[in-house]
Amino acid sequence: MNQKEDFSELQKLLQLKRLETPGEAYFEKFVDAFHQYQRQEILREEPWYSRVVEVLFEPWVAGVPRLATVAGSVACLIAGVAFFLGPVAPGITPLADGKVAHAKGIIVAANLEDDSLQIQPELIETAAGGEGTQLRPLYVNGHGAVAYDSRLAF
Amino acid sequence: MSVDSTKEIDLENGPTDEELVAETVKGNLASYDELIRRFQSRLYGVIYHLTSNHEDTNDMLMEVFDKAYRSLPTFRGQSSFYTWIYRIAINRTFNFLEKRKRRQGAMSLNEIDEDGLPKYDMPDPIQRNNPSKSSMLNELQNKLNESMLGLSKEHRTVVTLYDIQGLAHAEIGKIMGTTEGTVRSRLHYAHKQLQKSLGIYLRR
Repeated sequence: MNQKEDFSELQKLLQLKRLETPGEAYFEKFVDAFHQYQRQEILREEPWYSRVVEVLFEPWVAGVPRLATVAGSVACLIAGVAFFLGPVAPGITPLADGKVAHAKGIIVAANLEDDSLQIQPELIETAAGGEGTQLRPLYVNGHGAVAYDSRLAF
Repeated sequence: MSVDSTKEIDLENGPTDEELVAETVKGNLASYDELIRRFQSRLYGVIYHLTSNHEDTNDMLMEVFDKAYRSLPTFRGQSSFYTWIYRIAINRTFNFLEKRKRRQGAMSLNEIDEDGLPKYDMPDPIQRNNPSKSSMLNELQNKLNESMLGLSKEHRTVVTLYDIQGLAHAEIGKIMGTTEGTVRSRLHYAHKQLQKSLGIYLRR
């Protein structure tokens, strides 16, 4: 049996659906009915979120390039994932020398039961010279902890 | 002389869609009325064959022309107005169908217009002069609507645009934002599905 011929019979049948139109009278009055509809729509306020929905689902209609919408959505998605999967304790970082760095210094003792930490502030050299025990956030470069201070010359 | 003949051609064909769009954006509202007249019947057909409900189609058609009118200033002409407004119509109808599906669960056939088509649809001579033929056509059209609603909205769209409206594969691809190959494959699948459900009528 020829498949194409079968489809052509089906296509003839489908063409019957062309008869399903409301007729000339409907279309003659449509423009007037549309003007009336538009007047009613002007009086009806759109909710604030309708513009957001439009930009998200019909960006080309709203005049926003599709690529920009995709890029924006991806950026939001990444920000969302980063927010939820970010470090639980961002101030704590394992160091290459086996110590653990904390935002305020090197952790020298920890009590897991009450989550208390004993922190030794890191000695840093300041640009002005001399040593100090200033508490500064640590910058980890793979060899140990150093203080991040924009005034220091590396 | 050649200028005169060009003018004659323009007068004969009327302004292009894009010229009417430009005039509308400038504030000539009669140009938009002309665009409506050009597309109302075709867009009505697309929406109706996707929803199978004349009331919904009327509401959707108003909404589509209103939406397009408001968005005309952002129409950049990257695609033709024809493709653009078809896309609006199809996307709006898809959204509407999703809402209807959520609202009612499975689509009830009672939603479809009584007898599958409104009373004023069928050309008068068929109804008056040949009642038995008319009843057979009604039955067939009921079955056609039922089978069309059995297809996914994407498959129903390609059947509507290709078989009922006579658009080319490439045009359908542009409207649906897909490749010509995808259109062909969807059409083939839809034809097979429809043939399965309408087989008894095809063998008559």
